[in-house]
Parts: sequence; structure tokens; C-alpha cells
Amino acid sequence: MASLKDIRRRISSVKSIEQVTKAMKMVAAAKLRRAQNNMLQARPYANRVRNVLHTLLPQIDRQTLPVLRISEEVGRSLVVAVTSDRGMAAGFNSNLIRRAQATIDELGRDTVDIICIGKKGRDHFVRRGYNVVAEHVDFWSALDFQHAMQFGREVVSSYVGGSVDQVLVVFNEFVNVIRQDVKLEKLLPLAVEAGDNIETAEVLFEPSMEAVVESLVPRHLNIQVWRYLLESYASEQAARMTAMEAATNNAGDVIESLQLEYNKARQASITKEILDIVGGAEALRAAS
Amino acid sequence: MANTFQLEIVTPTRVIDCGPVEYLRAPSVEGLFGVQAGHTRSMISLDVGEIKVVQDGKDTFYATNGGYADIHPNNAQLLVETAEECNTIDTARALSAAQRARERAKSRTADTDHSRAEAALKRALTRLLVAGRM
Repeated sequence: MASLKDIRRRISSVKSIEQVTKAMKMVAAAKLRRAQNNMLQARPYANRVRNVLHTLLPQIDRQTLPVLRISEEVGRSLVVAVTSDRGMAAGFNSNLIRRAQATIDELGRDTVDIICIGKKGRDHFVRRGYNVVAEHVDFWSALDFQHAMQFGREVVSSYVGGSVDQVLVVFNEFVNVIRQDVKLEKLLPLAVEAGDNIETAEVLFEPSMEAVVESLVPRHLNIQVWRYLLESYASEQAARMTAMEAATNNAGDVIESLQLEYNKARQASITKEILDIVGGAEALRAAS
Repeated sequence: MANTFQLEIVTPTRVIDCGPVEYLRAPSVEGLFGVQAGHTRSMISLDVGEIKVVQDGKDTFYATNGGYADIHPNNAQLLVETAEECNTIDTARALSAAQRARERAKSRTADTDHSRAEAALKRALTRLLVAGRM
């Protein structure tokens, strides 16, 4: 049996771990609230841009705008993997990386350019010699719409420049606090969904419908990228919160069982001392 | 209030509900345009520039970097990526951004992206203009 001192030491170390995990849980909860708030704020804008775009898209000739072009066959692809900078979030990064890697390998790793958002994905793909064309790390704590605009511009320019024929995004979708799903979405070429049917016949377009669509497409993509970032950020915080909650509970259990062991050991040593004393007294009495 | 219309400025980070306003002036890609109640149904691409909103005879200014306006006879929505009120603009930052953009636009090296430098300059100047309206 471990000595009393050893057990005491282990209890205090587990207690300090518990404190750390508890603090991390609290921090994640606060960040999650902020992220959810951001997601809520972004929704009206995103919905309206999408609605208008999908109403107008079927009415214009896609071939006139480079950003709307659809390649007959897909030669090169661009995969954007959205991970976090930090771990301690259970399967958040590993699930995503697994899915991204499977997608990339399926397309053929030589035909895929990768943009890594977040340190974890970058580390993984760079170490394995994948073709990482751009990486964005260390921005999550100051996440801002500017980042979405910057990434959006990057994606659009490689698509318009013709270096890739499709853009796929792998990210964690925030379903609720205890559930986040890895999702794969095709960002480009733009698919047409049914929008609200806005009566366009009587609408005055300035300068023209094509020009309105042309300016809308990059904005739509920016807001999509923004959504990916927010979903991922919220998922990360939720995953970390759940993981740290479990860790805190586990630490509590460990402390409890260690405490029990400690008490047993203490009892045993007291019993032993009493036996010694009684034995000694007996011996003295026998001697006298 | 007879001649007013509802105005909303919607950005990815917030929705500014301006309420009933009398007049809106916004920068289209072809120049400034004004909107009053009863405007014909239209969709207008917005450029980088200054948005002016008149409510109860009082002017409010916002700096924007573009988007589009969806205008109905009795309400209007501006969907823009940024909308900064004059009192939220960091003048020092805008000044240094303008300075940087100017230098970039002037440099003659092959790898400078002149259109981007010019766009950045325009954005910075707009913000300074709006900041000066305080």
C-alpha cells in the first residue's frame, strides 16, 4: 500500500488538475456564448444575401462571370480544412482531420491544394507532406469578419484565376452544445437553390442585374466563410466545454477514491500504533 | 409623420434598425443616389463610400465598404459588409491605413496590386470623411 504521504501528494495534484479543467470549462462556456451570439447576428444578413442571389442566378447567363463558371470536369480541387489552434477538445480536431484526409485522398492528393485554417490541421497536413498552399493560424482569439473577407478573397482569386475547379470546405457544424458534426460543403462552383421568388420584372436594377449579381457573389462567399468560421469556433468551444466537464467529473471521482484509500491507510496506521502500544504495555506488565 | 420609410442596415455582425427615416443617401457604383419614401422598387449595387441617413431632420453618417440596397416604396434595406458610425472610427488607424495605401499605390514594383491599394485608399479616405462628420 502507498504511504500516506504519497497519497496526500496525489490528491493535491489531482485537485489542482481539477481546478484547471474547471477553469477551462468556464472559459469555454463564456466563449461559446459569444460565438452563438455572433452566429445569431450573422443570420439575417446571410439569409437575405442568399435569397436574393438564388433568385437572380437562374436569370443570368453564368458564363459571363468568371466566378460563376462551372468546369466540365474537375481537374484540381481546393480543400479548406477548418480546425482549431488548440487541443483539449476531445475529438474535435481528429474527427475533422480524418474526414478531410479521406476526402483529399479520394480526390487524389496530388490534385488537391489545401488551405489550413487553424494550427492543428496545418501541423497534420504539413507533417505528412500534403500540398498546403496557405495556412491561417493564431487568429481565433480575435476572430473578426475581416478574416472571413480575407479568406473569401483568397478562395475566389484561386477559383477565378482558374487554378482550381472546385472548392470544398470541411468544418465542424454546431448542432448543439453536446453535438457537433463534421460537414463537407462545396463552396464553389455555386449551386443554385430555390430562393424566395422575388418578383424581378418590376425591379429597377442599377447598374444592371448582372452587375448586382457580380457584386453579390463574393459577398455571399464571404458570409459563407464567416459562417464556417463561426460554426467551427462555436463547435470547438462546445467540444472543449464538454470534454473539460467530463475531466472535472473524473477528477472528482479520482479524488474521492484516493481519499478513501487515504482514510483506510490512516486507520491502518493508527490501528498499528495502538497495537504497538498495547503490545508494549503488555510486555512491560509481564516483565514487572 | 407622412414622408418616412423604414430603414434597416444589415451587416454580418449586427442589424442597425434606423426606424422611420425621411431621407437616405448612399453611394452606388455609378455615383451617389438619394431615396425618399415612395421610391420605385429597385436593387442597387453599393460602392465604398458614405451613407447619410436623415431622421427627424438630424443627419447620421456611416462609412461602408459596399454591398447592395434593396429598396421598396415604404422600406429599404442596406446589406453591407461593414457600417461604421462616425464615433466608432479610429481616426489614427484610418490615417495610417491611408498613408500605407498611398505608398503602395505609388510604388512601381511589379508585384504591387494597384487596384487593391486603390481600394484600400478609398476605404481609408471614406472612414476619415465620416469621422470628420462628428
